[in-house]
Amino acid sequence: MGPEVERELIRKCKAGNSRFYEPLVRAYEQPGLRLALGMLGNLEDAKDALQNAFVKTYDALARFDLKRPFGPWFFQILRNQCRDQLRSRKARFRLEALDERLELRPADPESGPERRRERAQAREVIWAALEQIGEEHREILILKELQGFRYGEIATILEIPEGTVASRLYHARRALKDALLEMGAEYP
Amino acid sequence: MQERVTHEELMRYLDGEVGPEERGRIERSVEGSTELRRELAVYRAMKDDLQTLKLADGVHHGSIWDSVNRQLTRPIGWVLLVVGALVWAAYGIFIFLTSPVFLLEKLATSAIVIGVLLLFASVIWERYREWLSDPYRDIQR
Repeated sequence: MGPEVERELIRKCKAGNSRFYEPLVRAYEQPGLRLALGMLGNLEDAKDALQNAFVKTYDALARFDLKRPFGPWFFQILRNQCRDQLRSRKARFRLEALDERLELRPADPESGPERRRERAQAREVIWAALEQIGEEHREILILKELQGFRYGEIATILEIPEGTVASRLYHARRALKDALLEMGAEYP
Repeated sequence: MQERVTHEELMRYLDGEVGPEERGRIERSVEGSTELRRELAVYRAMKDDLQTLKLADGVHHGSIWDSVNRQLTRPIGWVLLVVGALVWAAYGIFIFLTSPVFLLEKLATSAIVIGVLLLFASVIWERYREWLSDPYRDIQR
C-alpha cells in the first residue's frame, strides 16, 4: 500500500469512518504480529498486544500528523503496548513458545545437509542467547535483523535520536556475543 | 595514519547506513587493523545467523480485523445504552416525583430503590477489589 493511499485512508478514518481502517489493519497485521511475537515470545500475548495496539492507534488517529509515515508510528504504539504487557503481567519472553513459531528461511539450494544442520543448531543457540539478553537489547535486534528496519525507522519506533541507534545496536550485539560465548558458541 | 573507527561507525558500516565517503574511510581502517577485522567478522557472522531466523508468515490464520472492529464499535453501543437508560431513569423519576401519591409512599419507594442500588454498587466494588488482588487472574483456565 502506497503512502498516498495510506494517508487517504487515515483521512477518512479521522472523519469517523472506521471501515476505512480495515485495509490498514490488514496491511500491518503480519509485520505487527512478527514484532509482537518477537518481543513477547508467545502467540496469544502477541495477538492481544496487536489487537490493543490497533485500537489504541485508531483512538489516537486524531493526533496523527499526516505528513509522517503511518508504519513507524504504529510500530511505536505496538512496541509500547508489548512493553506494558510484559510489565503488567510480569510475563517474560518465552523461548519454547516462540521457537515453535519459527521457520528457517528457505535453505540455500547449494548447501548440503551438514551445513543446514549447523545452521539449525546455530539458530537454536541464537534464540537461547536472545532469551538471556535484556528486553531493550532484544527489541532493537528484532527491529533491525528480523524486521529489517532502517536506523531512522528504528529511532521513530523506539522514540530515541537516530544517532543513538548505532550505539544501542552495538551494546545489544555485544551482549548477544557475550551470551553466545558463555553458551560455548564460536564466532565467527 | 589510520583514523580511529568508533563502535557506532562500525555498526553503521555493518548495517549499510554509511555514505560512500565514510564507507571508504572505514574500509581503509578495517584493512589496516586485525582487531577491527576480527570484530567486524564476528558481528557479520552474528548478523547472518540472526537473519536466518524468520517468524513464520502463516502463524496467524485469518485477519484480526473482526476483533479490532468489535472493539472499535462496542463503545458506541455502550454510550447509546447508557444515554438511553439515563434518559428513561430521569423521565421515570420526574413522573414519580410529580405523581399525586402520598409523600410517605414516595419516601418508602425511594428508600427501596436507593437501597437496592447501594447494595448492587457495593457488591460490584467488592468483586472488583477481589479481582485486583487475585494472584491467579492472569491464569487461563
